[in-house]
Amino acid sequence: MRVALGFLFTLAWAVYLGGALAMELVWRPVQRDIPPSQIGAMCRWMGRRYRWLGLGALGLAAVTWLAWRGLGGTVLLASRPAAAVPPAASGWPVAAMVACWGCLAAMVLAMGVLLHPRSHARWRAGAHAADAAAARRRKVRALRTMDVLLRVELAVALSTTALVVLPSGPRIGWAA
Amino acid sequence: MTATWVQVLAGYLHLLAVAVYVGGSIAMEFVLGPAQSYVPPAQAQVIGQRSADRFLVLVWGALALFPISGLLLFFSLGDQHTLSGMQFFTTRYGQTLLGMIVLWAVLVVNGAIITFVLRPRLAQRASAQGGGSGVAQRLEVMQSAVKWVSHISRIDLGIAVVIVLLGASLAYGDGIL
Repeated sequence: MRVALGFLFTLAWAVYLGGALAMELVWRPVQRDIPPSQIGAMCRWMGRRYRWLGLGALGLAAVTWLAWRGLGGTVLLASRPAAAVPPAASGWPVAAMVACWGCLAAMVLAMGVLLHPRSHARWRAGAHAADAAAARRRKVRALRTMDVLLRVELAVALSTTALVVLPSGPRIGWAA
Repeated sequence: MTATWVQVLAGYLHLLAVAVYVGGSIAMEFVLGPAQSYVPPAQAQVIGQRSADRFLVLVWGALALFPISGLLLFFSLGDQHTLSGMQFFTTRYGQTLLGMIVLWAVLVVNGAIITFVLRPRLAQRASAQGGGSGVAQRLEVMQSAVKWVSHISRIDLGIAVVIVLLGASLAYGDGIL
């Protein structure tokens, strides 16, 4: 059971963090050489799929961690007596990790449910000029906010990873 | 104290490498890859090539980081005694670790095949040189390379997931092989 939970947590976190890293380090630079209309077409589809992937991975990480806590929440390295691992899941790293998880879930939700649809909003050809301008402003604002949020999300995800491996932290997901 | 921080650093880098390899592959395979069908084929080819070039750099970085952070973790945990002599081959812990190393080597070989054999074939341009039959032949080579890259990438993803499972069995048990 411990192995299964540790495996699922590591996998979930890897999918989430790796996805965020791939988007930042692969997709963002590639966008510079593509016409905006085509970026829009790809982003619309990718955003929808990535929202479920990100939320699913975060959800799985939370469920496996809670189940781990339910099992006692300590890392039992039976084959490694020399490791002298302290009791896990105690103190500020756990509180910080939970807070970070909350921030990440909120950011993914905000991007998936609010900002992403707004950034692809369309206005009718016959719309009033003022309405069209307001919609365009909302779209630009959503795109800028998403741009910032994506970077903040990656920074928080990287910090949370550090909390996961801290000796006094949860330690689950520490596949070594 | 120093050993603890080495453990933390090694654990962090190990988890980061897993994330880059597994999570990155999933994002490339199931998010970025299918999204290319929403743009014209010529543009999709450019996007595919550039994104693959960038992702391969990350993949090689992760593959290099696995043994470095793994060894750091292994020695900082003081696990050497568990693998002295023939224990590498006779204990479950040793056999599981050996299995991980073998699978990592398979990933390296597959990565080398993609980078040095298949990718150059994909980078070829279908110029008019050699006439119509030459163009057709080159296109056939490219299509075959695309198919192989796709197959190998999926196999690599499966292998990486198995490595994570073996790693979890070492971290939370005494191996599963």
